[in-house]
Amino acid sequence: MVAVVRSSSEDVTVTHHASQRRAYLTLVLISLFCMMPFFWVVLAAFDPKASQFLQIPQGVTLDHFKNIFANESGMRWVLNSVVIVGSATILTLIFAGFGGYALSRTQAWWKRPLLYGIILVRIVPPPALIVPVYKVMLFLNDWINGLINQFTADVEQQQMLSRMFSFIDGYLGLILIHCAMQLPLAIWIMKTFFDAIPKDYEEAAALDGASQWQTVRHVLIPLALPGFAAAGLFAFINAWGDFLMPLMFTSSPELQTLPLGMFRAFLRVDAIDYGFLTALAVIYTLPAVIAFAFARKFLTQTFSGGVKG
Amino acid sequence: MSHIELIDIKKNYLGTEVVKGISVTIDQGEFAVIVGPSGCGKSTLLRMIAGLEDISSGELRIGGKVMNHVSPDQREIAMVFQSYALYPHMTVEENIGFALALKKVDKAEIKRRVMEAAQMLELEHLLERKPAALSGGQRQRVAIGRAIVKRPKVILFDEPLSNLDAKLRVQMRTELMRLHREFGSTVVYVTHDQVEAMTMAQKIIVLHNGYVSQLGKPMQLYREPENTFVAQFIGVPKMNLLRGKLQGNNFYLQSGQVVDIGNGYTSGNDLQLGIRPEHLKLQATSTQGGWTVDVVERLGVESFVHLHNATMEQLVVRVEGDCELAADIQVNLQFDAASCFLFSDKGQRLLRKPAIEQAAG
Repeated sequence: MVAVVRSSSEDVTVTHHASQRRAYLTLVLISLFCMMPFFWVVLAAFDPKASQFLQIPQGVTLDHFKNIFANESGMRWVLNSVVIVGSATILTLIFAGFGGYALSRTQAWWKRPLLYGIILVRIVPPPALIVPVYKVMLFLNDWINGLINQFTADVEQQQMLSRMFSFIDGYLGLILIHCAMQLPLAIWIMKTFFDAIPKDYEEAAALDGASQWQTVRHVLIPLALPGFAAAGLFAFINAWGDFLMPLMFTSSPELQTLPLGMFRAFLRVDAIDYGFLTALAVIYTLPAVIAFAFARKFLTQTFSGGVKG
Repeated sequence: MSHIELIDIKKNYLGTEVVKGISVTIDQGEFAVIVGPSGCGKSTLLRMIAGLEDISSGELRIGGKVMNHVSPDQREIAMVFQSYALYPHMTVEENIGFALALKKVDKAEIKRRVMEAAQMLELEHLLERKPAALSGGQRQRVAIGRAIVKRPKVILFDEPLSNLDAKLRVQMRTELMRLHREFGSTVVYVTHDQVEAMTMAQKIIVLHNGYVSQLGKPMQLYREPENTFVAQFIGVPKMNLLRGKLQGNNFYLQSGQVVDIGNGYTSGNDLQLGIRPEHLKLQATSTQGGWTVDVVERLGVESFVHLHNATMEQLVVRVEGDCELAADIQVNLQFDAASCFLFSDKGQRLLRKPAIEQAAG
């Protein structure tokens, strides 16, 4: 009797193991299939004979990367992207900090309508916004360029200032557009985050003699750091990956950003250089990964124990 | 001088009056406890003193100066929050020293004063820790340290012990009283726990529905409650109230039972007889006592016997020591006539005649 029972239970475990093994095998295969493009990009970027097929490289080379920075304006693209997206992220965080705090603390009747209005901006597909936004930017552009022309007659200076502050084909315009696109989500994240910070902290600070600014500086910002990290990470990664806005609002090669550089390299008439393109893709991916690694430290750093909950 | 005067203070929230005209004076160095059930306006009143809420009408003076529109940090007060509100990103030392750092006090001086407060509260070994690494009682001490380091003239406490377990609460009560003696600041302490009020206060202010129900020394409230609310709020278990009518010295309960409450009261209908559980005596069990035992709570040092009569009126009797009575047993009660209170139908205390003459003279 006992022997029979044992053997049947062993059978069950065996079939159990077998089915589990099959499931894992399927999952591994699907994962490999999904990861194939990433493998290809990384391998081809370092492959002296990169092609459109996944292959084990014959050797390892950094020539593709050297090519990007030496023969093309790779450095300029990276710097443009970093400056524009970085500034847009910082600006987004400043506005989202103030806006999120105000929307969290106010009890006004327009709070809900406004919050949903803000998220509506996020729901509208960006291409639908191009025409009206372009119109507004064009108007502002004429105005700022008029101002610049008044300010200086030196053509070189005019060009320099125009590249900085133009709303179309200028850094300022692209920064503001990125900021506007990322702000709705960031405000929502910050508002939700401030909701979770009890008002007691601010009242305690007020009784400790802190001014409004000191309360923000010493109490609210440190407490909201994980929220800022989350909002900043989303803003940075979204803006970094945005292709449409730089395409619409810049034309001069000096303002070209990474995604545009990549796009135009891909469109070149002569033979496609897969090594060059994959190396560029690696460079394009890196900052997003770095941003995530940087924000992760703050994201997990939740505070507790200040108030008894 | 740091006495606090509240003159007809009122507070409106969106058209609802929460605090309905409170006039109280708290003397310098006094430990005043504002006590009342939740929703009576006690926290709002404290927050108005702190400057965290606007005062709708009336006048608040601290040390003789009108403070209605003075910002919280200019009032020379400190507050201990119910939630403690310790800054979680700062160490204990930074938390305690924050107010001084904001005032740009010299660093060495901050360190000295933080140490002094920490020694008083036995926190020296925790100065480097963050609030998350502290126990509830330790957080409570840090919150107090943050208040006393400013050397305020007035310290406000908003239900500071309500998050602690029962044992710690008893310990902190005595500690707060010791601190008050050493420190000498005026203290305004809000709680819903009448035990805290009775044990700590030099003056109790009982709030009810936005009004002051009665104020006075703890034992004064216990011995001479002005109305049924205070009578039942102060003292555990609460005072027994029985409805009925008075003829001469005899109070007739609805069940027809008669209680002799002594002379001096004016006869009348629709009255309430009040007597504390400790002023009732159980008499030898009998078969026709009129009171039936419901439950006996045996605590060892004392016992509380819950009783009801024919008309289902309930009473609690305190018995010294242990009391082994089975449920449903009939007992007789003896009322201590001198300790009987009489209240009107609306709950106002009625006085015996000689007492009225005394009060008038």
